[in-house]
Amino acid sequence: MSAGASGRRLFGLLAEFRSPEELLQACRQIRDAGYRSWDAHTPFPVHGLEAAMGIRHTVLPWLVLCGGLAGALGGLLLQWWTNALDYPLIVSGKPLWSLPANIPVAFEMTILLSAVTAFFGMFALNRLPRFSHPAFRSARFRRATTDGFFVTIEADDPRFDVEGTEQLLRSLGASAVEWLEDEED
Amino acid sequence: MSSLSGQGAGKAYWRSLEDLAGSVELRALAEREFPEGVAEEPATSRRDFLKLMGASLALAGATACRRWPVERIVPFAHRPEGYVPGEPVQFATAMDLAGAATGLLVTSYDGRPIKIEGNPLHPSSLGGTDPLAQAALLELYDPDRSTAPLRIARGQQIASSFEDVERFSRELFRQLRERRGEGLRVLSEESSSPSLREMRSRLLRALPAARWHEWEPLTRDAAREGAALAFGRPYRSWLLLDRADVIVCLDADPLMTEPGAVRYARDFARARRAEGGRMNRLYAIEPALSITGASADHRLALSRAAVALVAGRIAAELFLRCGLPLPGGAEELRHALERFERHPFRPPLVTDIVRDLLAARGRAVVLAGPGQPPAVHALVHLLNAALGNAGRTVAYAPDPDPERESHAESISALARDAGAGRVEALLLLGGNPVFDAPADVDFAGALGRVPHTIHLSLYVNETSRACAWHVPRAHFLESWGDARGHDGTLSVVQPLIEPLYDGRSPIELLAHALDDGVTSGYDIVRRTIAPALGGGDFEKGWRRVLHDGLLEGSAWAAETPSPVRPTWAPALAALAEADPSAGPGRVELVFARDLSVYDGRFANNGWLQELPDPITRVTWDNPALVSPSTAAELGVGTGDLVRIRAAAREAEVAVFVLPGLPAGTMTVSPGYGRRAAGRVGDGVGFDVYPLRVGRALWRAEAEVVPTGRRWPIASVQDHHLIDVLGMKERGRRAVRLIREGTLADFLDHPGFAKQARGHEGELPQLYRPWSYEGHKWGMTVDLSACIGCGSCTIACQAENNIPIVGKREVARGREMHWIRVDRYFSGTADSPEVRFQPMTCHHCENAPCEQVCPVGATLHDHEGLNVMVYNRCIGTRYCSNNCPYKVRRFNWFDNHRGLGPVEKMVFNPEVSVRSRGVMEKCTFCTQRIEAARAEAKKQGRPLRDGDVEPACAQACPTEAIVFGDLNDPGSRVRRLQDHPRAYGVLEEIGTRPRLKYLARLRNPAGSESGRA
Amino acid sequence: MAEAVLDERALDNTSDDPRRRAPLVLGANDLVTITDKVCRVPEAPRMPRAWYVALCVSAAFTAVLAAMIGYLVFTGVGVWGLNRPVGWAFDITNFVFWVGIGHAGTLISAILFLFRQSWRTAINRSAEAMTIFAVVCAGLFPAIHVGRIWVIYWVFPYPNQMAVWPNFRSPLLWDVFAVGTYLVVSVLFWYMGMVPDLATLRDRATTRARHLVYGVLAMGWRGSARHWHRYEKAYLLLAALATPLVLSVHSVVSFDFAVSMLPGWHTTIFPPYFVAGAIFSGFGMVLTLLVPARELFGLKDVITLRHLDNMCKIVVATGSIVGYAYAVEFFVAWYGQNEYELFTFLNRALGPYGWCYWTMVSCNVVLPQLFWSGKLRRTPWVVFGLSLVVNVGMWFERFVIIVSSLHRDYLPSSWGFYKPTWVEILTLMGSFGLFFTLFLLFLRFLPMVAMAEVKAVMPRPAAEEPEHEVAARALAGRGGSGEPT
Repeated sequence: MSAGASGRRLFGLLAEFRSPEELLQACRQIRDAGYRSWDAHTPFPVHGLEAAMGIRHTVLPWLVLCGGLAGALGGLLLQWWTNALDYPLIVSGKPLWSLPANIPVAFEMTILLSAVTAFFGMFALNRLPRFSHPAFRSARFRRATTDGFFVTIEADDPRFDVEGTEQLLRSLGASAVEWLEDEED
Repeated sequence: MSSLSGQGAGKAYWRSLEDLAGSVELRALAEREFPEGVAEEPATSRRDFLKLMGASLALAGATACRRWPVERIVPFAHRPEGYVPGEPVQFATAMDLAGAATGLLVTSYDGRPIKIEGNPLHPSSLGGTDPLAQAALLELYDPDRSTAPLRIARGQQIASSFEDVERFSRELFRQLRERRGEGLRVLSEESSSPSLREMRSRLLRALPAARWHEWEPLTRDAAREGAALAFGRPYRSWLLLDRADVIVCLDADPLMTEPGAVRYARDFARARRAEGGRMNRLYAIEPALSITGASADHRLALSRAAVALVAGRIAAELFLRCGLPLPGGAEELRHALERFERHPFRPPLVTDIVRDLLAARGRAVVLAGPGQPPAVHALVHLLNAALGNAGRTVAYAPDPDPERESHAESISALARDAGAGRVEALLLLGGNPVFDAPADVDFAGALGRVPHTIHLSLYVNETSRACAWHVPRAHFLESWGDARGHDGTLSVVQPLIEPLYDGRSPIELLAHALDDGVTSGYDIVRRTIAPALGGGDFEKGWRRVLHDGLLEGSAWAAETPSPVRPTWAPALAALAEADPSAGPGRVELVFARDLSVYDGRFANNGWLQELPDPITRVTWDNPALVSPSTAAELGVGTGDLVRIRAAAREAEVAVFVLPGLPAGTMTVSPGYGRRAAGRVGDGVGFDVYPLRVGRALWRAEAEVVPTGRRWPIASVQDHHLIDVLGMKERGRRAVRLIREGTLADFLDHPGFAKQARGHEGELPQLYRPWSYEGHKWGMTVDLSACIGCGSCTIACQAENNIPIVGKREVARGREMHWIRVDRYFSGTADSPEVRFQPMTCHHCENAPCEQVCPVGATLHDHEGLNVMVYNRCIGTRYCSNNCPYKVRRFNWFDNHRGLGPVEKMVFNPEVSVRSRGVMEKCTFCTQRIEAARAEAKKQGRPLRDGDVEPACAQACPTEAIVFGDLNDPGSRVRRLQDHPRAYGVLEEIGTRPRLKYLARLRNPAGSESGRA
Repeated sequence: MAEAVLDERALDNTSDDPRRRAPLVLGANDLVTITDKVCRVPEAPRMPRAWYVALCVSAAFTAVLAAMIGYLVFTGVGVWGLNRPVGWAFDITNFVFWVGIGHAGTLISAILFLFRQSWRTAINRSAEAMTIFAVVCAGLFPAIHVGRIWVIYWVFPYPNQMAVWPNFRSPLLWDVFAVGTYLVVSVLFWYMGMVPDLATLRDRATTRARHLVYGVLAMGWRGSARHWHRYEKAYLLLAALATPLVLSVHSVVSFDFAVSMLPGWHTTIFPPYFVAGAIFSGFGMVLTLLVPARELFGLKDVITLRHLDNMCKIVVATGSIVGYAYAVEFFVAWYGQNEYELFTFLNRALGPYGWCYWTMVSCNVVLPQLFWSGKLRRTPWVVFGLSLVVNVGMWFERFVIIVSSLHRDYLPSSWGFYKPTWVEILTLMGSFGLFFTLFLLFLRFLPMVAMAEVKAVMPRPAAEEPEHEVAARALAGRGGSGEPT
């Protein structure tokens, strides 16, 4: 591994493309070239990118399902235990435990826990929040949230070698390629 | 839309006049956005003054009250004498009101009276009470009572002391004694106290030149004079209503306002339940709409003057047509009766009345009220004698005080002498003549001419302020005394508590004036009663009297006086001139006794002020009542202020339009508009005493002029209800709420009330109902017995620490009473029928209130009580919204804030005082259930029927309310709930109420099966 | 600026020519101009004067709200005009009113999302913000209507020394859970949708402070494709969850009445009826907010006439559903021949509160019919005016349901009448103050248009039509990737 200009370890290469279409093309190539630890950055979700990059399906839905089940069960248990078991009371001559009256709360609990799981699950799986990233050091990269379409290939990828990878990126029509230095460690 | 309008079913009921008149201006009203008056705010409200109160009271009073009386008083319950801390003890005493006493049992808690109930042994009570007796407790703890003697000079009140008073009066009476009492006058209220009479005769013996006067604004002298005319000397008479099958009331109100009314109501109601197919029949001919009139089978509204026409006519029919023997040498009487016969006015009902009277000789009674002239009373006595009712349904005894002149004469004589400077010293024992004396007697002016005036009074009232000395009077619950019941039964009034403000009783004041050694009320009473106890062990007899609250067999010996030659016939004949219809613009002013403040003496009693009038449902006011036709004629409506001119005097009064009043009359009740009543009573209502003049204190000719101004009237019913739509609907609905039938209906189909219901039998249940093992509390209300008096409401208020909220809050629909008595009208505006329905928590087994409470603050207990957990309630009011009976009460403010230490003494320690933001409601007096349970446990026996009696049931004069265990097959409540007349209100919506009603029975003439 | 050169005609994208999809963003906008346009507002040193005026007024009313609540809490619920029988009036009316408003946001962002209504992208952000602020206002009223607000926490099932629990049979408790859940989910949904735009603001930040604040809020979002993948999945899931939720919330609110025994409340059609009403009032409020906003912040070419047009169509549709519900209530009352219910509805229309009823009918059913005319739907000031009418009407609907049913129930003896006090009126106005204050602050500091989503539906010069469609659906974030077209 060679050192970057400022002598810090190299994190990887940042390449910019002009349009989503070029980006899609490039990603297919990079995927076929067998790179593993690399990523694309776009201001909005570009359709087809998952396929182009060969991203596997996320497990998030399964987490959410568990959250929902936990909510439903918890909701019912809460009501059964509090009203029918722990402190039974005669209310309007009704039986201590009658399901119809307990549906609404159970339902809301289901939704609540599913939603919370979906939200936090997503950020957790994305390793967010993360407030510093090598890419943030690049002035150009700031446009990634406005109109820039980028690819980053990280140095620790087995297939990564500075010249070869940079060559590849330029050959894929990157309008610009720059080195990203790693955080100080 | 039209297809939506439902069709009226059965008899059309309506709740008030706004309803019946579907008139144009009514529609105008209906379109108005908000009802009149609610926005306006009266000068003061109970709440406001509570805030003013603070701890401004003499704490001495509060501490003194915990001292045990020096004299030994005897608990009612048979238990070793002495006292167990924290254990409520009942003492017997009696409340004397204008010459007739009601026996009471007062519950005392650590030496502090907290509840008044009727004494079951006392013939004037039999356990029931009227609202006044219930509310006397609040009067005892009234912080506005005068706390120390005052020296009053030129309007300045200088705090004084009993030493000063005594020093002054000792000197005064020494001088008077030298002059044999020349120039001394005593003005007393009417009283039945033998001790007072004893002291009086001693005083007059010691000071023969002194004169004794007596004044009662609501005087019953007409009856007394009538008896004197009929029998040659004054007689007291009282009724034995339980023996009467036919009752004819001529302007009389035996169920509410006559002495002994509580007893009469009980006797009357017992004969209204059609047990054994028998039922009495009540005719009422009256100018006002009284409680008696409301319960009558036949009621005729006639001006007070015209009532005589009916009396005369009945007499004429009986004596001239039906051959009832006239007393010897009664030619003038015959002529007089003939004049009645010739009178063009043909009153209805007379034929029925005459037929019934004849058919029920000896089992009927004819009555005349205090508002009728003596001649009518004399005629009535004559009728009862001729029909053989005298001695059977009406008893007579010689008046204990035959010599006294009439109240009206007495007060005017006193004023005359005083004005002429013939009065040196005037001793006023209670009373408030400056406020309530006849208007043509300038009593205040007269007082000014009297050098020495001493006024004994509970309050520094209008009269006190015009006197030189004011002496605080001891409340009857804090002083020794004695009194006689309506039938003469002798009771000893024993104190429940040391005088809070060290007051004196009348007899003590007189004793001091006499200065003959015996000065304490205790000794005076013992001295007076000694002869009555006869020989034997005095202490033993004395203790028995104290324990029972009455002296066995001390009632007056009844005799049957024989009528003397009717010299009064000319006076009667003169009455035949009466014209039932008053002239245009003029009205007959009818004075009626107010059911809350009496003659004004209870004006500072918040419980009574807030107790809705049974008929008008109005609180905190005494509006002038007029019939719809009269109102239309005068061009006024409810809430309009009018100026009434009578005998060159004026009073401004708000009008309230009420059905069932005779055209051309206006009913007013004096006692309001007090100027020196206290923080509660001042400026409440209107003072109409200025309109009472001369001898005829009960009626006046008056002219009425609208002022164009309005006055907010706080009614707990109706006054929001101003549109035709609502009126129609209420009519359709009320038939199902208050089911009634005639005696004949009942005998033919006993279950008529049930058939009136939508569907038969138990509604199907979605879930298996809870089974309540052990006790299962329930209640019934017999609408046939209920006369609507409102005792239950006050009893409940006293028992359960229910706050007073004031006129403004009542006008907003925020009154707090746990049990209310709904009133409905039916029939026409001229002769309406009145229905009463006590309404309180039904303790529904499927209680709608419970499931909607988010915090489970209202629930059922294992005995089926719908309990309210005050300290769990967060105040969402959802339960109240969901209660079909609307019997839940919300504390919109902290209603108990700012109560002084003495006021707090009225609270029942067994019942928690609810704070702001908490819902409350009837608990079936759960504290009494627990007390009874504990008592039974102590005695190692199960709870028996009758052990538990809620305050409302206990106070009810007519035993209309019955409470007990529905699981006990022998209990009264079980039997009543299985009674064919039993039905539940709104049962059809599946609430399974624990409170059931017994359908109302009536016995109109024509359903002859009524009289076996 | 772009819209300066655009005349209204150029801004009219409401033609319904089937041959070509009408553009959702107008004018010569590309990714940069859109970003500029939206970010200009939060980045601007000063706001238009109108904004400051509006903020002062709203803040003043918010202060009034605080004062009224203080008075209530220290004195008691008696300061309101409530009585027996009318135990609820303005308090719960306002609660239901605000909850109803709160439904449009979730509806636009979730339901329209599931229905692939790409046009929502321009308005969903502000609609969601509106939702949250409305729910905040709504939550206020159940809390204060008990007077002693310090005990309100007793409705939560927390373990306590007395071992007493709330009563789960009470619809009020269902409310606690439903509205609580709704608030949480709405906030999550709103915030998650905003993260990429916050990142944009972070990257455009010129000052350290802005960089720091937006940086923290953006949670280090860097538009990674792998993140976008999970993000879209999560967004889809939240939308799928929020949709039943939004329907359940107002159903549960309607249970407060439907589950009770009161004639006029005890009605089975309440849930759908209330939900329709909620959508109706929600869109009314969205229009009330956006018509001025698009003028004020020059967003006519993003929040286009087509957007107004569509929303008006929804308004007229839901308004008619509500009108149908009014009719059905009367039919059922007549058909059921329950004397109490019959009277309640007669009394509602012809009784003392008739004027409220007819106000409600004309505002909710009659006037919205004007939106059948496309011309009116596309005339912003008309739309604005009618949206106000809708708000008024829907407030009255809740008032009529609550008060006219309560004031005359079963026993004629306990019938009464309610009239509000100044405290209640000022409290209502104060709640509007709070709502607008929050919304104005949102406009000032947060991106009021979901840039990332708009960009995805923008016609890009480089891209040919199909590519544009692809992008549009990409935004619609369907699950399984990679299928053709």
